[in-house]
Amino acid sequence: MRPVVGFAGMTHLGLVSGVCASEKGFMVVCFDPDPSRIAALNGNSLPVSEPQLEQLVANNAERLHFTADAAALKGCDVVYVAPDVPTDDQGASDLRSIDALLEQTFGATRADAVIAVLSQVPPGFTRARAREDRALYYQVETLIFGRAVERALQPERYIVGCADPLRPLPAPYHAFLEAHGCPILPMRYESAELAKISINMCLVASVSTANTVAELCERIGADWSEIVPALKLDRRIGPHAYLAPGLGIAGGNLERDLATVCRLADELGTDAGVVRAWITNSRHRRDWALRVLHQAILSKIDDPVLAILGLAYKQDTRSTKNSPSIALLRSLEPFRVRVYDPLVAASEVPNPRRHAANSELEACDGADALVVITPWAQFRNLQPRDIAGRLRGKTVLDPYAVLDAAACRAAGLVYHTLGAKA
Amino acid sequence: MVLLGARGFIAGAIFRSLSAQGFSVLPLGRPDLDLLKPESVGTLAAALHHDDAVVMLAALTPDRGRDIGTLMKNLAMMEHLCAALAKTGCAHLVYFSSDAVYGLGPSRVTEETPAAPQDLYGAMHLARELLARAVAGVPILVLRPTQVYGAGDTHNSYGPNRFRRAAREDGRIQLFGGGEETRDHIHVDDVAAISMRCLMHRRTGTLNLATGRSVSFRGVAELVARQFAKPADIVSVARSGPVTHRHFDVANLIAAFPDIRFIALDEGVARCHTEEMEKG
Repeated sequence: MRPVVGFAGMTHLGLVSGVCASEKGFMVVCFDPDPSRIAALNGNSLPVSEPQLEQLVANNAERLHFTADAAALKGCDVVYVAPDVPTDDQGASDLRSIDALLEQTFGATRADAVIAVLSQVPPGFTRARAREDRALYYQVETLIFGRAVERALQPERYIVGCADPLRPLPAPYHAFLEAHGCPILPMRYESAELAKISINMCLVASVSTANTVAELCERIGADWSEIVPALKLDRRIGPHAYLAPGLGIAGGNLERDLATVCRLADELGTDAGVVRAWITNSRHRRDWALRVLHQAILSKIDDPVLAILGLAYKQDTRSTKNSPSIALLRSLEPFRVRVYDPLVAASEVPNPRRHAANSELEACDGADALVVITPWAQFRNLQPRDIAGRLRGKTVLDPYAVLDAAACRAAGLVYHTLGAKA
Repeated sequence: MVLLGARGFIAGAIFRSLSAQGFSVLPLGRPDLDLLKPESVGTLAAALHHDDAVVMLAALTPDRGRDIGTLMKNLAMMEHLCAALAKTGCAHLVYFSSDAVYGLGPSRVTEETPAAPQDLYGAMHLARELLARAVAGVPILVLRPTQVYGAGDTHNSYGPNRFRRAAREDGRIQLFGGGEETRDHIHVDDVAAISMRCLMHRRTGTLNLATGRSVSFRGVAELVARQFAKPADIVSVARSGPVTHRHFDVANLIAAFPDIRFIALDEGVARCHTEEMEKG
């Protein structure tokens, strides 16, 4: 008999994970102590945006039970505690809400039920909360905003933190994991907690390398996009390596892990110099657009008008946590800005002189420069000649190379992107 | 606004800018107030109002000595200012420090770059920053200018002003080695304009005053040499230390004042030359 699976905490992680479990054919209890959040979910109003998510909720309505009543967890064999853990400006986690939810879950579940912490927690968290009479695990999540459903349905592996990794996993838990057809790696709690951080550190290292060399490319006339294929064909780096330059680390999760490593290193006297260098590089690259805009527009044109496409910190999400777009707009407060984002409301823009455009091209109308700062897929459909026809100026900043560089230049636009000279 | 060290090169430019904008400025130079003397505490306290903005530019610059005695005198001046401020308070203190508080390790400098002064002059400014910050209840802004140039500079530090003087007097400019070192040079009028904005916005914290564009000393020398009808010769002399570079990341300055416009180095050098020639 297939286990019934519960998820406690219906923010991004818990919701996506629960819905994907139902897609795998499991009966799923989706619990959140906030009745208004559950009411919204029962009314088909999802608090997060992810490709396929709405469709999966509709497809699996019979297997999904959204509830604010913790007693419903009594029927579950496995319960994931999966609230999004908030972070402060320094990337430090606020663990109060997950602690409260974990406590509530211990109290609401059967004594033989498996409880697995799925949220991002610092090393030492799980063992400190383990109980002799309960089966508590920590499972690494590697969801990516904008690709969360894909990652949850087709995980590369499961990393499971255990009190004792030599003891077999409880049958219901193993059955649920096995249904996903990927390797299962049991290890001690601390190793699993650090494995999660290690994965993110490797990603940041790759991106920081890309950013560092891409900036050199911009100065000496090399083109990072020409270099990337050479790196991806190197077996030690690989075809899926994170080598796209960006505007710094954003979204909160990577920053949290870097902050955790720095904190641990400070406490334990180990070296975290390289991590601090990544953080510094991230902050430096975040201001790329401001530097280019200043040089090309702000220092030359009185009272310029600027078109900004994208407010979210990345495509396919409405999250603006540490968004380079919002950071840029904060620096552009004195100026007129015309903003458009497919999901994020213009009310999140701090600028008093903002215009909420209804489309990408309307945002371009009469602007001295266009900044495509979030790489939404739909922006790829923009034709440079249409942009040129609507802009007052010729400057285009397209850090993520969403637009066709050659077509932009052919349309008479001055095209700036990461990793190449304008 | 109270301007301390008002007879100096930078202070003069700030005074002109503030006055042109109609601000009420009390310029105090050494003849008016000798901050080296303990009695300056009482004199300054009597002149200050708690709602004044104070700009501290009084310092013995490196051309007046780089020794321990000069360091201690500079610290004493700051001690006396802080004592006066402790009595009266003020609405805003702007302390003019220097990029000498940074080391010459990594070339890229931001406000977050750890201070690592290499000499007593840099250590003096860092100590004075800390002294200023220790005055309770006074909102403080520390400005750390890179090399400042412009007409009327009496200092003789290695850079545009010395090159212009040498070109005019000797017809030749001496560079250490090939003049490969890169530095950021900011025109004194830009320094004055930014200072005025900081005062108007009551800005606090730390800001580097630089343009974000570094040029080699050879590049600077060539710009200066071209100002003369008969271009000055540029000659090389043995350098005494390794080649070092400095680049300022001015993102914080741009974020604070996004419409800021810097005087380009070629324009600034030409302006400086014209003004000096007019003075004879």
